[in-house]
Formats: sequence, structure tokens, C-alpha cells
Amino acid sequence: MLPDALFSLTALLYVAATASFARYLAAPVDGMDGAKVAEEGRRDVRLGTGLLAGAGVFHAAHVVVFSLVLAVCPVEGIHFPLSVVAMLTVLFFVVLRGRFRIDAAGAVVAPFALSALLASRFVGMNAAPSTQVRSALLPFHVAFNLFGIALFSLACAAAGLYLVQERLLKRKQIFGLFKRLPPLDALDRAEHRFLLAGFPLLTLGILSGTAWAQKVEQGGLSDLLRAGFGWATWLTFAAVLLLRAAAGWRGRRAAWGTIAGFASSLVVLAIYLGRGGPGGHS
Amino acid sequence: MIVVGLSHKNAPVEVRERFAAGKDQEVELLDALKNAGPVGECVFLSTCNRVEVLVAPKPDASPKEVSAAVREVLRRHSGAASAAELDGWLYERRGDDAVRHLFRVAASLDSMVVGEPQILGQVKDAFETAVRHGTVRGPLERCISRAFSVAKRIRTETALGVGTVSISSVAVDLARGIFGSLDASTVLLVGAGEMAEAACRSLGKDAKSIRVTNRSFERAATLAREFGGVASTLDALEAELSLADVVVTSTGATNYIVTAELVRRVMKTRRGRTLFFVDISVPRNVDPEVHRIDNVYVFDVDDLEAQVKEGMRARSQEVIRAEAIVDEELAAFRAWQRSADVKPLVLALRAKVKGALAAELDRSLAGKLKHLGEPEKAALLQLIEGATNRICHAPTTRLKDAASAGDADVLVASVIELFELSEPATSAEPIATERPARLH
Repeated sequence: MLPDALFSLTALLYVAATASFARYLAAPVDGMDGAKVAEEGRRDVRLGTGLLAGAGVFHAAHVVVFSLVLAVCPVEGIHFPLSVVAMLTVLFFVVLRGRFRIDAAGAVVAPFALSALLASRFVGMNAAPSTQVRSALLPFHVAFNLFGIALFSLACAAAGLYLVQERLLKRKQIFGLFKRLPPLDALDRAEHRFLLAGFPLLTLGILSGTAWAQKVEQGGLSDLLRAGFGWATWLTFAAVLLLRAAAGWRGRRAAWGTIAGFASSLVVLAIYLGRGGPGGHS
Repeated sequence: MIVVGLSHKNAPVEVRERFAAGKDQEVELLDALKNAGPVGECVFLSTCNRVEVLVAPKPDASPKEVSAAVREVLRRHSGAASAAELDGWLYERRGDDAVRHLFRVAASLDSMVVGEPQILGQVKDAFETAVRHGTVRGPLERCISRAFSVAKRIRTETALGVGTVSISSVAVDLARGIFGSLDASTVLLVGAGEMAEAACRSLGKDAKSIRVTNRSFERAATLAREFGGVASTLDALEAELSLADVVVTSTGATNYIVTAELVRRVMKTRRGRTLFFVDISVPRNVDPEVHRIDNVYVFDVDDLEAQVKEGMRARSQEVIRAEAIVDEELAAFRAWQRSADVKPLVLALRAKVKGALAAELDRSLAGKLKHLGEPEKAALLQLIEGATNRICHAPTTRLKDAASAGDADVLVASVIELFELSEPATSAEPIATERPARLH
């Protein structure tokens, strides 16, 4: 009963936050300059961010209560990955948005969190990790990956918005949406920092996953696919970071690389959920 | 008066840059116009957004002849194959329409950025160049002087220039849309003219640093000193581009000084850091191909037009008030012009009256008043002056009032008939000179 109430309240707050950011993006610009647009839209953005923060708190409460009801550790069970990723994404966003000046990215984060929360209701609910795969490494492996994916979600959101801004600039459509979205360089910088923060976590996740897989001696097709996409994700993000540092790959190329890496990480998550968790059988 | 030209409203920058002229070319064009048969007075105005020739025809020239002569000069200047090629781009205003157009241009009502202050300075520069070269001295001079007063009045009585969305402010807004804030950005000015200075005032106040590169180092150094920046010559352009984040180009160069090849080289040294060009020069200084390069954005004056129009909408009430002032001033100018038209007749009338009185005085001084001394003679001359004024006051006032109202034809004919005056010429010169009374 309580988990359901928390779930509904969280979903409702995500809907309200999404509506608030949508209102901000859709409001007419009417010849205002960027500063005026930001000033006029400050109320909607603050409201949206506040609603997101509230949703994040209730989301965390829901995860804790639900895990207590199921008597499963959130990072160990497969009921939670989507939900936890959404929650972490929101919490990271609420904490870091001011630092990177990407408040308006809430317009992407809010609907993403809402979708992930709703999807978590239907994915992996009846699956449980087999006892044979339980290991001391498993919670670390899952935790590293979930934190990493949450940061990559933010990097991907920034990359997506960067591509929108870049396209608007190249087409010289500099009214309306261009003024509403965060500055181009702020998005590029945020994307890079989120990648930098997420990459060590992904590396630890991959290493712990590899160690854990050797320990439980898995070798099924889905495990191989998951491992393959896991390494592909790692290599993609490594390439994005390396090429940025070594060859100045910024902006559009880095954004596409980030989106590709994030898509690859989602494939890993999908295999994980579809398979019914590590070593599980859906 | 006739205006022939083109502007941002009817011609894209690719066309405008064919007609644009630097200072030297302006003088050549003024010479060419002066030597064109039917042109009496002329001013050549060339800005980023417009190229216009303002002409007062010679008294015996028809507007059609003047138009053809001006178009031929512009055709040769633009390199067009035929006059027909220009017809699609050039507009023409005559008479009151031309005067209204000039008032609107000077008051920045016809500018891309309505209310921007630079245009008045540019019209003044063009006017001064024409004055220096002796191509303006009569009715056109008075009309342009009046345009300056109209512009000043609009600026004083309306809020047209308050919070203006100018090219510079749009550039600042765009730069903020790209970089967030400018406090970590380096602004590079390529060219050190008036536009660069205006851009620097907007862009430079928040920037981390300012750099100025110019053909003449002295001018670059002067501007750089004013804004606490670093100056260099154009030879250092590639190195300067490597350091800059926002580049404002406004040189008078007639070809691209920032090419795609140059920027590709620069982007390698910049390691992909974003580079933003604001090209406010016409002809353009930055090759449009540069905009295709990753992480490089180029906006020229036309690109900013729609943005500026958005800003204009917000000040539409002020535009309406300013347009009303233009209408009022145009009517006042027409009235003044008409009253100026009767000035030769008024002078002729005064001369006739004064001449008649002086002749009578001469006769008396030679006869019955021969005994008068110099002080008495001087007093009588003063008396003639006063009598002339009193006699002519009423007819002068009536004539001027009627002329202002555009209804002076009957009165003019009557005065000519009653006082046996010859038909006055419509010039500032009197048709008859006063004959002063001789002192014996």
C-alpha cells in the first residue's frame, strides 16, 4: 500500500515537473533577449526543479520502502535497476544543475525519470537473481553500473540538447528554443564532466562484473552479449574521452559518441532485465 | 530631391556588397555623379545595410534623366552588365517621398535595427564627405540638415533608442547562447572602425580579454588602449584567431579575409574549441563556408535581421510615435520649403519699395533738402529702411503664410502684377538687387 502510494506520488511529481519544463520551453520569446528569456522563465524552471527534487526524494523513499517490503537489497535485486537509475539521475541533476548551468536540461531529465519509473513497474517484477549467482561482488557490480548509467544518462541528455542547440545554430534559427535551452558550451562541458565522472564507475562495474562472471562461471549467450556490449560501452566512452583530450574532438562528434555509448549501456541494461538479472532466467 | 539605392529590406548581403564603397571609392563615386550631366547636388551613403545616392537635380533636368544618370554610375560601380540587371534591386523615391525616406533613414526608422544610433553618424559622415568635395550646397544640404534635426527630435521625444536591439546586442545575446557568459571568453575585433568600437562596448564589457587586429596598427592600438586590450596588425590574424572565442569582423576589405582554409588550420590549434564569428562588414569579411566547419559559427548582418525584427515588434508603439514625428516634420519642411519658394519674390518686393523710396529721397536731397547735413541724411536713410519694413511687412507675411499653406499662386501673381515685378526664380538668390540711396 505504502509503496504504491509513494510510487503514485513520485509519478505525479514527475508529470508536474515535466509539465513545468514543457511550459518553460513552449512559452513565446517575443523578441526578448537571452537574459530576459531566462528571467521570464525562471519561475517555471525553479518550479520544475523543485518538483523534480521532491520527486527524487519520494522516489528514494519508494525504493527503500519497496525493497523492505520485498526484502531485497535494491542494488542486488533486478526489480529496481530502471527505477534506481531514474532516481539517481534526478538526484544528480538536482545537485549538479547549478554548477553546470544546465537547469533547462530538466526538460529531458523529468520525462526520462517518469518513463523509467513507469517502465520499472512492468520490467523484471517477477524475476529474482538465482542463488547460484549471489556473490559479495554483485552489489558492487550493480551499484557501480547504476551510478555510472545515471551519470551517463545526464551526459546523454546534455549531448542530445547540445545536438539540438548546434543544429539550431547551424541553421541560424536563433529564436525561441535556442534561447530556452542551456548554452552550447555549458552543455558540452556538462556532458564531458558527467562522462568523466561516470567512466571510472563503469570501469569498476565492468571489472567487478568480469571477476564475478568468472567466479560463477557463466557463459550463456545473453551473458556473452551483455559482456560484449559492456565492453563496447566502455570502449566507446573511452574513445570519446581520449579523442577529446588528444585530438580535440568536442561538440557534435563527442555528443554522438556519448549517445552511442549510452545506447550501448542501455542494451546491457535491457539484456540484464530481459534475462531476469545476472544468471537469472526470465 | 531623388533617392536611388538599395537596402537590407530589398537586397541580400551578396548584392549589397557589390554596391558598397569604401571612403576612397565614395569620393570617386561623388566625382562620377557630379560629372553626370543632370545631377546638381549629390551625397553617397554606404553602410552595412544600405547604399543610397541622394540627388538634387539641376534646375533644367528632369527626374527621369537624373535617375538614369545615377543608375548608370551605380551600374558601373557594381560591375553589372546592364541597367536592367539593377532594376530588381534598386528602389527610387522622389519629391516628398524622398524627403520622408531621408528623415526615416536618419532617424533609424528604416534601419535593420530600428532605433540604433550608428546610422545618424554614418549619414553625417556621408554628408561631410559630400560637403568637403563640394557636391552639396543648396536645397539638398538644407534637407539633410533638417533630417539631422528630425533624428535628434525623435531620439529626444520617443523611447525609440532605449533598450535598442542592436547588432551588437544581438551578437552579445548569441555569444551568451553559445558560451553561457563571456567572462571566460576572449573577444577579437578584426578592424577598428566605428562598428568595431560599438561592438566592443557591448561584447567587451563582460569579456575576459579584448584583442584588436587591424590593417593600421596605430588605429588598433588606440582602440585596444581604450578597452584595455592588446593590439596587432592583420598579419597576426591566424595567431589571434587561435586565441579568440568571439570574433567581430568589420574591415573595409572587399574580399574574404577569413577563409575556410584559414579557419580549418586555426581549429586544429584550438583543439576544437568553439569559435563564433560576428561578421558585421559589407562586403563580408568571413567566407560563408566557414560556418560549415565543426564548432564554428558565422553570423553576418542579414542573419541577425529576423532577431532584430523581433526586438522591433516590442517597441512598435515608439515606432508609431516616431513615424508621427516624421509626418509632422515633413509637413513643416514642405511649408518651410514653399515659404522659401516665395523668398525671391519678397526680396524683389522689398527692393522695389526701397528703390522707389530711395529714388524719391535722392531727388529731394538733390533739390529742396540740399541743405541737410550728414547726420540728417543718415536719419532719412534709416527712415527709408523703416518705411520699407512697414510697407512690406503685411504682404510678406501674407505671402509666406499662403505659401506655407500651398495656396500662394494667386497672391504671387497679384504681387507681381501690382508691383510690376518680373517672374521670380525659385532660388535663394533675389531676383532684383536693392538699389541703395546714394548719399550726396
